[in-house]
Amino acid sequence: MRSPSLRRRRSASTTGCATRTEAVVADLRRHDRGDDLRRHDGGDDLRRHDEGGDAAGVRIGRSVTRIGAAVLLAVLIAGAGDAIAPGANPHPVHLVRPAAAPFSAMAQLGHLVFFDKTLSASGKLACASCHDPADRYGPPNGLAAMLGGPTLKSQGVRAAPSLMYLERQPNFSIGPDNEETETVSLTQMAALGQDAPRAQKTAQTTAQTAVNMVPQGGLFWDGRADTLQAQALYPLLSPFEMDGGSVDAVAAKLQRAPYASRMVQLFGSAVFREPHLAVAEAMFAVARYQIEDPHFHPYTSKFDYWLEGKVRFTPAELRGYHLYNDPAKADCGGCHLDKPTSDGFPPMFTDYQYEALGAPRNPALSANRDPAYFDAGICGPYRTDMRTETQYCGMFLTPTLRNVATRHVFFHNGVFHTLQEVMDFYNFRDTDPQRIYPRAADGNVEKFNDIPSRYRANVDVTDPPFNRTLGENPAMTPQDEADIIAFLQTLTDGYHPALRDP
Amino acid sequence: MTLRTLIRPATAALLASLAAAAPLAAATPEGAIAPADPASAPQDAVKTATPIKHLVVIFNENVSFDHYFATYPQATNPPGEPAFTALPHTPASDNLVRAHLLTNNPNFTNKANGSGASEPFRLDRTQAATADQNHAYTAEEQAYDHGRADLFPLYTGKGTPGGVGSFGTKGQVMGYYDGNTVTAMWEWAQHFAMDDNAYNGTYGPSTPGALEVVSGQTNGMKIVAASKNPSTLRAVSYYISDGQGGLTMINDVDPAYDPCSKPTDQVLMTGKNIGDLLNAAGITWGGFMGGFNLDTKNANDTTGCKRSTRSTVVSANVVDYIPHHNWFQYYTSTANPKHLRPSSVGAIGYSVESDGKTRDPANHEYGLKDFYDAVKAGNFPSVAYIKMPAYRDGHAGYSDPLDEQNGTAALIDFLMRQPDWKNTAVVIGWDDSDGWYDHAFAKVTNASFDPQADQLDGPGKCGTGKPLPGVDGKPANGRCAPGTRLPFLVVSPWAKPNYVSHVRVSLASVVRFVEDNWLHGQRLGGGSFDASAGSMMDMFDFRSGGKDPVLLLDPATGEPQAH
Repeated sequence: MRSPSLRRRRSASTTGCATRTEAVVADLRRHDRGDDLRRHDGGDDLRRHDEGGDAAGVRIGRSVTRIGAAVLLAVLIAGAGDAIAPGANPHPVHLVRPAAAPFSAMAQLGHLVFFDKTLSASGKLACASCHDPADRYGPPNGLAAMLGGPTLKSQGVRAAPSLMYLERQPNFSIGPDNEETETVSLTQMAALGQDAPRAQKTAQTTAQTAVNMVPQGGLFWDGRADTLQAQALYPLLSPFEMDGGSVDAVAAKLQRAPYASRMVQLFGSAVFREPHLAVAEAMFAVARYQIEDPHFHPYTSKFDYWLEGKVRFTPAELRGYHLYNDPAKADCGGCHLDKPTSDGFPPMFTDYQYEALGAPRNPALSANRDPAYFDAGICGPYRTDMRTETQYCGMFLTPTLRNVATRHVFFHNGVFHTLQEVMDFYNFRDTDPQRIYPRAADGNVEKFNDIPSRYRANVDVTDPPFNRTLGENPAMTPQDEADIIAFLQTLTDGYHPALRDP
Repeated sequence: MTLRTLIRPATAALLASLAAAAPLAAATPEGAIAPADPASAPQDAVKTATPIKHLVVIFNENVSFDHYFATYPQATNPPGEPAFTALPHTPASDNLVRAHLLTNNPNFTNKANGSGASEPFRLDRTQAATADQNHAYTAEEQAYDHGRADLFPLYTGKGTPGGVGSFGTKGQVMGYYDGNTVTAMWEWAQHFAMDDNAYNGTYGPSTPGALEVVSGQTNGMKIVAASKNPSTLRAVSYYISDGQGGLTMINDVDPAYDPCSKPTDQVLMTGKNIGDLLNAAGITWGGFMGGFNLDTKNANDTTGCKRSTRSTVVSANVVDYIPHHNWFQYYTSTANPKHLRPSSVGAIGYSVESDGKTRDPANHEYGLKDFYDAVKAGNFPSVAYIKMPAYRDGHAGYSDPLDEQNGTAALIDFLMRQPDWKNTAVVIGWDDSDGWYDHAFAKVTNASFDPQADQLDGPGKCGTGKPLPGVDGKPANGRCAPGTRLPFLVVSPWAKPNYVSHVRVSLASVVRFVEDNWLHGQRLGGGSFDASAGSMMDMFDFRSGGKDPVLLLDPATGEPQAH
């Protein structure tokens, strides 16, 4: 059995945040008094200690993560003295990117499976069709959901997520962290969550919210798969996606595939005698391809280079970055965390948690023609093990914001198609809901119309900017929204600092 | 009476500091003469039955013999992976190849396994991160199914998921690695000695295994805090009634009074362990665990009980110290519940500080770095039990064979470069099988009849005959033995080269070796398995004079380093 205190994935990052938050506040106050802002002696060496287990036990003076991006920001906003160029990061950090290595035989096999259209009923869909490398492994168009099935006429039910930046995604769990998953069942944890109070989450209080009994981790919008291997099988078998039929049918196709001999080499001559094993191995190969190919997690955005001190923000990007982390404004950073981890890994721009935000119903989804149909996320209908945990109905996974500016479709139901629409949703959902939701026949605004009324209490009305009320001033001005979008555009991979910012 | 030949810490520290200077002779308080050889630890002067002056037990986690050696010494060698080529005349071992069980395996043909039914299959090096299997006492008995060993998928093949990139199937419990993943283990096996007939003391997981390797006894458990009732088929817990008014531990629970332990469930053990005997004889020893030093801060800013290390293989931050793996913490006489630090490097391994009388605060429990520091300073304890930080202990789910290899090879590399390698023996052992399939059921040698926990031969039955006594001298339930088969390696200049021993040993054989080598064959008593455990001596050749073979491996690949 496993130790109770393993898998404290979140606590590691949130511990640093508490310090960071206090430091931010202190810094801003000091700025008001005109004190010296350069007390954060950043840029310390972040050495990874790795010899002999804990044989090193290195004490480092200040780790970069304690400084925190928002602290850097505070210094920047303050004008930061003469040595710092405008828009530059005064405290560059060292980011630890995944190590690059030649593809293993497994990853080479997975590469072939990922692009293999013969596994689909139509013969026209591969994994890469809806997770297009040219579109950051997301959908190649703005359709609310992709079309699949035997003749490519069956519409899916959700917007295809990107397959990028999943290499650190934790398993699905419920609770303050994952520590109890070995001895306590998911159902028991969910039961605890039914009564637990919930702390408000802002960009500056992520430490406090670590005690919230919330679902977190997992893959898909509802977290129903924990591993990339398990995830890959769902669209392969889904009747409105690749429609592969059955495990036996897929195994038979694998056996006829040009890479069948590679499978025999890696998994033994008996591999095709057990269809379940053959398919599991093929799906693992796909997963391994996603892990090993750096294109799935390059961390080459302008923001990454900014963190490393290699580029400067434009004034709009800098303002947007500030608004992103400002609890009185967009407060994006409350969930889309922008701090490197304590291990020096680049920020993932998600806290891996689930939220019910109440996005409007999307009439473009054919499933929505049935007024009794609701996609309730964690509690179903596509996830089936949490149906009775109605406190989570309407909740969907918080995705990474990396490459968000390149997407054509947003939220689980694909209701939004531009970042502007998304920003407006956050800005006006509570203050001017008529701008977001349709009106019913009686003229009332149908707020939260994609969540059954009995579950609407699950919708987040505490985390800024969703803590406002009807008629209040919205959190952001049009200029604010534009600046935040400018900042979000710095999260797009493929930036070349040397070319653009000599 | 055992000769008290050890020099005191003050002298040891002096020796260490002068190690590079002129040779010297030092007298212990009892008047024994310490060696004048500057390249030797004072422990070399201790009288032993064999040339072994230092035993280092690297106690890893959760592997069955077949999980690592099913096809030994034949590896697949796919392109791009560390290759393994068997030396000429490498002996066969009792594995799936020799037993002809790679196909038509009863775990595939027995329909009771349902959709989990599977033939054994190779796990690739890219599949180092796997799910953790079920390795509870009762589940393992059920998997062995009257000795047929054909219900592993049904009873132990239930894994909690690993990291996002981990591998899992329903029949995963039948998976095995080969020399392309556990490369270092295979290299050590073919250059030193391995036993293919080694078993856990009883069925069950980590804590019972940890107790077996230091005491050979899981009976005599005393509850300090408990939120659970005795284990039943419906509600599994960590203990049962022994049938005599006492308790036997059968699953994992934390040691009492350790601040890192779960407050709701904490226990002590009332029997003796090998540390008690070594203390009485004045022999230096210690338990060295990654993460035990709560003062240390890792590079990721974690410290205390929550100190953790990132494993990129399993894609998780893993806490370094796991209380329920801490052998000696369960016994009041050898516990260091507050994780107090030793008074000095020279005092490591000793019961007292360098003044020769003040009780040393660490009480023989240390961090892993303390072991490195002590050996570097010339204070190489006679007996050292080592536990890697958890991400390197090999336990599926949060650790993996690659991280395990890294930690184990780094430590052995360090030891092979010491002057005292010449009289050192490393045992690489595992605390339980994790529930991974192993074909080699061993006939029950100690029966147990708990109506709920014992299921091997049907409800309430594990074997026949009268159970051996527990700590109180009466037949105790909950110790059905032997348990599952585990890999067991000896790496030492005195190990027989490329040798597979078939002598039946168990985790208590480690206790017996210490007793036979340092303590004139003294036994723990109180029903300990040390009295009945087989001897490890078949794995050594003490006539050859110790050829001092060194095999330096690349910790990342397990392949021999280029010289």
